[in-house]
Amino acid sequence: MQPPPLHTATPQRLHPLSLIQRFVRSLPGFLVLLLPMMFRTTGRSDWFTLVLVIIVGALTLPLIILHYLRFSYLISPTEIVIHSGILTRRKRNIPLEKVQNIEIEQSLLPRFLGIAKVKIETAGSQAAEGMLEYVGLDEAQRIRATVRAYQKNPGTASPVPDHPVVPLSDEQSSETLLFEIPFRRLLLSGTFRFSLLYLAVIFSLLQQFDLSQVVESALDWVSRGRFEPYLDQAMASPFLTATVAVILTAALGWLTGIAITIARYYGFRLSLEGDKLHKRSGLFTVAEGTIPLAKIQALILRSNPLMRKFGWYRLELQTMGTDVRERGHQVAVPFAQEEVLLQVASHIRPLVFPDAFSPVSKLHIRRTFIRYALMLSISLAPIAYWWPLALWGFAALPLLLVFAYLQWRHHGYALVDNMLYIKRGVLTQYLWMVPLDKFQVLYATRSLFQRRLELASLIVDTAGAGPFSSPVIHDVPHPDGMAFLEHLYNAFQATFLPAQTVSSEVSPEAP
Amino acid sequence: MQPLHPAIQTVWRIKMGLVTSVLVFGVLAYDVLNLFDRSRMLPFGLLPGLCLVLGLLSTFYLPRLRYRFWKFELTHEELYLERGILNRVRTIVPLRRIQHLDVSQDVIERNFELGKLIVHTAGTRSSDVILPGLQLQHAEQLRDAVKAYITEDAL
Repeated sequence: MQPPPLHTATPQRLHPLSLIQRFVRSLPGFLVLLLPMMFRTTGRSDWFTLVLVIIVGALTLPLIILHYLRFSYLISPTEIVIHSGILTRRKRNIPLEKVQNIEIEQSLLPRFLGIAKVKIETAGSQAAEGMLEYVGLDEAQRIRATVRAYQKNPGTASPVPDHPVVPLSDEQSSETLLFEIPFRRLLLSGTFRFSLLYLAVIFSLLQQFDLSQVVESALDWVSRGRFEPYLDQAMASPFLTATVAVILTAALGWLTGIAITIARYYGFRLSLEGDKLHKRSGLFTVAEGTIPLAKIQALILRSNPLMRKFGWYRLELQTMGTDVRERGHQVAVPFAQEEVLLQVASHIRPLVFPDAFSPVSKLHIRRTFIRYALMLSISLAPIAYWWPLALWGFAALPLLLVFAYLQWRHHGYALVDNMLYIKRGVLTQYLWMVPLDKFQVLYATRSLFQRRLELASLIVDTAGAGPFSSPVIHDVPHPDGMAFLEHLYNAFQATFLPAQTVSSEVSPEAP
Repeated sequence: MQPLHPAIQTVWRIKMGLVTSVLVFGVLAYDVLNLFDRSRMLPFGLLPGLCLVLGLLSTFYLPRLRYRFWKFELTHEELYLERGILNRVRTIVPLRRIQHLDVSQDVIERNFELGKLIVHTAGTRSSDVILPGLQLQHAEQLRDAVKAYITEDAL
């Protein structure tokens, strides 16, 4: 057996340039300390702030350097070992066979510095188990290649040789491209995304730091008073002001939606490499990741009524131990027409789209409506106490009834070819596709009211499902529902019948 | 379907009694501290009294109801649980999905030689499924019986 190259056997340091990145990242903290100084014209407390900044700086810089000196990692044929900690020394061992995904991420500054963040994700936890901030980009790719090589043939495999890194273009020979998004398509997909959240954040920040004056004078300078007459006229009529404000907000929300989509999915690329999906995207922060096909727990098709009208969908994959940023879901295809999507999905799991979904009980409309009505009353009652006109809010009741009806219309389930399909949602429409062999635990719940109405809800729990977005079949008629659950469970067990012999072939190595 | 060990009712009663007494003393303390507050709306002792009555009632009746609706069954392929007073829940835990097992016992349970079996799966909602109210020996027997089915296949 040949000895592995030195750099895999001996502990490695992070890339020296990570010091710069860490330093830059600590700067916002100083800014917060300096804020009082920036907004106060005079005052003795400036000295105090300055001293504070110097003290914090004197502590932060050595900490950054110490962290660098005390951090080391090592990749052996069986595990990744990470030593870290300044006061408390930590040693973390991550067995290679538990590694699900190695993600390489580069935000803006690291891209200039040629360094990358390596996230090692395992099944055990939602967050990344090990994080290398930062190593050289070539080193990052080498780590991933080494781990993959070890995983492919454990024990015997020699690590990836020391010769220049396998460039991405080289890897492509064994890759098949599944999906790529051209820029114009990306732009189009952004137009379907409407985001007020970021806008709200920006405006609240402006308020917080009293910068609205600055922005206003900047706008004045840009427009040089050309819009003054229009503005005055608009201000004169409150109705017009409100309309303009709403239109402007909508336009800005729309634009931020486009901007976010481009920032996140620029250059999106999904490819299949053996039994692993390879994904890469991002404008400022380039994230690269691998998803082993076997680790995919469920497929989720998402759209909203507008997207659906034009036939656009988004495909997400539910995996274990993946990033929480995307709600435990990895976007596999951000935006595509149905047939493209099905074609991509067929590489992941054989899919047969159900012709028809079984509807849930019509009593679901009643129950949903009552729930909405109660929520409305609870929110209106305190307002109406002070402002009786708020009682007009109850005029929305018929609308709620329509919405409840739509909820029922869009809710359904089907079992086709070892795959459970559950669709639900009106404003955000979900279609969960859960392979039978990925079921974890099955539930049937019946609340007091459901028992009176002879209804039950069925829950299929899977690994890595979000806490609020797990697939639930609400309000199926009771005896049928139980029978369906039984049927699901038997089908689940049946998927393991042939598999059991396979697993017994594999297991002898264990003792 | 098997019921839990009847002694679990006493355990639940003691626990609810403790919660009730903490609550009642807390509310009583609040009442005493605001005894001479003129803007008080409720007469002295009403709230603590209400808490006491409700607490005592639930201490006596809830454990009995809870016990009545708790059922479980271990077959060679799954652990089946049924529980809930208002919201009845049936749970099927396929044994092959179990990641690891715990038997635990708290101070009160120790006095009654009871324990609970905790079954961990990879599911989000059911990362731990708890079966309370077993005799400790029984819980350990169940654990050993289930242990044989834990498979090593990755997720």
